Amino acid sequence: MKKGTLTAIVVAAVVVILFFWVKNSYNSLVKADEQVSAAWAQVENVYQRRADLIPNLVATVKGYAEHESATLESVVAARAKATQMSVTDLDAASIEEYQAAQGELSQALGRLLMITENYPDLKANQNFRDLQAQLEGTENRIATERMKFNEASRTYNTMVRTFPKNIIASMFNFDAKGYFQAVEGAETAPEVQF
Amino acid sequence: MTHSRLAGYCMAAAMLLLPVLCQAIPQRPEPQRLVNDYARLFSPEETARLEYVLTVFDDSTSNQITVVTTNNLEGHTAAEYATMIGIEWGVGASEYDNGIVIVVKPKTADSGGQVNISVGYGLEGAIPDAYAKRIIDNEMIPHFADGDYFGGVAAGCSVLMKLASGEISEPREQKDGSLAIAAVIFLTLFAIFFFSAIAGRRNNGGGNNGGNSGGPDLMDAVIIGSLLGNSGHSRGGFGGSHGGFDGGGFGGFGGFGGGSFGGGGASGSW
Repeated sequence: MKKGTLTAIVVAAVVVILFFWVKNSYNSLVKADEQVSAAWAQVENVYQRRADLIPNLVATVKGYAEHESATLESVVAARAKATQMSVTDLDAASIEEYQAAQGELSQALGRLLMITENYPDLKANQNFRDLQAQLEGTENRIATERMKFNEASRTYNTMVRTFPKNIIASMFNFDAKGYFQAVEGAETAPEVQF
Repeated sequence: MTHSRLAGYCMAAAMLLLPVLCQAIPQRPEPQRLVNDYARLFSPEETARLEYVLTVFDDSTSNQITVVTTNNLEGHTAAEYATMIGIEWGVGASEYDNGIVIVVKPKTADSGGQVNISVGYGLEGAIPDAYAKRIIDNEMIPHFADGDYFGGVAAGCSVLMKLASGEISEPREQKDGSLAIAAVIFLTLFAIFFFSAIAGRRNNGGGNNGGNSGGPDLMDAVIIGSLLGNSGHSRGGFGGSHGGFDGGGFGGFGGFGGGSFGGGGASGSW
């Protein structure tokens, strides 16, 4: 066999192996990236679910506690701010910003639920009790979906950063994703007491 | 750049701790079972009865209701604990996500009692949070407060089974005929108790649940459930369906199906 032919076969084999390695690495990165996006969609979904409960909650509380308008307005303002946020790039800074806006809403809601303690008629209202149960459930959903997002993000980031996939990741601009961080106080679910 | 990368590594390290934290919940039982009475709140007979009813319900509708009792929530809220069990054990079928986890932490001398019903993604429509909350407040806690843990769980399960079977009712593939017969008889018994409960309600004017002005559908379910849950009826219901079948083809629980949970449901304390 000629030396040239042998070289050609070796080169061809290397190219084929390289091709499949790049293809598999790239596709697994795309798959992990999609899973992060899907987890993020769920996170936005449950935060939206909370935002959707607020108008009804504010209207119900208003009927019983008219002179608490300052607290009610702060909830409405925080809701408006939080729902305006849209995150396109899932990097650490955007997630932090998103989390901060939602955290403000959590705090405003916490204050609102605190003052409702002073209105026994309101607390006995079945509509209000249902809203509270829904709100509590939604806070649990938020915690769960954030945990799932962090897991998806961790899987993806591990892939992007470990050798040899990091070569492919940097070639095709797969950037690291951010995480939700546990913030003391700000993110604790509003305490609901019956 | 290096700073943010360093921060990223720190976060990644923190994330690696997550699975470690999650291990604070009990491992999936081997052999798999639906009633996991780690706090020993039920007698062996009550455990067997509950396991039987829930297994037959799983066989006939594919909805999996698992009951976990524990003396220690390992620092989690009852909701976190129940959701993590649901996810880790994979309660419910993977194609329907139709699992329910009931966690009961009994009241002790130095800590209050806590209960949570966690609902899989697929049943969130059938059992909204507000319904779960009412089941806890109206069915379960009144029994728990009297120290009747079995009665509370049985009453809660009766209503949950009714709500869940209205949403998803996909009988499992029958491995042998006896299971199908068991399912038919179970549903027949269920229907008998259901109608006798309605009749009973008419007789005593439905006046057993004051102070609630909820929707009539739910209140019907809740009243029926509470009738089922009255000690006499409940034991009859749960015990009756168990009685005839002890030897006859009870194949046991087939295993968790890989369903997922999103945190829906409700908690209560007493």
